Amino acid sequence: MTRVLIADDASFMRQMIRDIIDSEGYEVVGEATDGVEVVEKFKELHPDVIMMDIVMPKRSGIDAVKAIMEIAPKATVVMCSALGQETLVMEAIQAGAKDFIVKPFKPESVLTTLKKVLEKGV
Amino acid sequence: MDLAKYRNLFLEEATEHLAEISRALLELEKDPSRSEAIDLVFRMAHSIKGMAGSLDYASITELAHALEDRMDGYRAAGRVDAADGLPALFRGLEGLEKQVASVRDTGEPGAPDPGLLALLRGAAGPGGREPAENRPKKAPRRP
Repeated sequence: MTRVLIADDASFMRQMIRDIIDSEGYEVVGEATDGVEVVEKFKELHPDVIMMDIVMPKRSGIDAVKAIMEIAPKATVVMCSALGQETLVMEAIQAGAKDFIVKPFKPESVLTTLKKVLEKGV
Repeated sequence: MDLAKYRNLFLEEATEHLAEISRALLELEKDPSRSEAIDLVFRMAHSIKGMAGSLDYASITELAHALEDRMDGYRAAGRVDAADGLPALFRGLEGLEKQVASVRDTGEPGAPDPGLLALLRGAAGPGGREPAENRPKKAPRRP
């Protein structure tokens, strides 16, 4: 079963992602509420995929991607962005994120993106 | 989607965020260059925008987006324009509070306020950064 770590400072968003992916048999192994906690939980839980918001307290999603890539260059990170954040998304992809989804989430888009990054075997 | 569950989550979290915005604006009244407070208002507006968008509350999404963009300009500038900017931010906060209260009372956020949106979009602060909707849009290429 694919193990997923969700990082978003909004519990609403964490719950929404959890509900979308739970229904498809993914296992949510942990949640993080800021950019520092997600790096700590990544080291502790070794998830297969991290779904990570770009705008977070303490450390931005982009900085967190960079930190995770230093620890595990093949880690699979999917950024959760919003309209108007195109520049930040490009920065995150350059930092090592594998793909992105745009809020408001459509369940099929979340699942298609997850399936795609996992099929790539990255 | 269990709308009732998400509406309750939205009301709970948006109310907390608005209280945090209020506290941060009071801090900015004392010190317009307090970067933690500028960041916090930006993040809270961003978060409200994301939640409201997920529930199709278009007027809240639009107002939170305008506030977020305004704060993005202040982040770039490193300070809030205390003379014109702060009153606009307080009015933005008040507008969001009314819309969230309307969701609580009626289940809907009510109509958008074009005057308030224009006020928030009127200037991007001393940094002169254009609001996102006025900047050229370029979709990121998927890897």
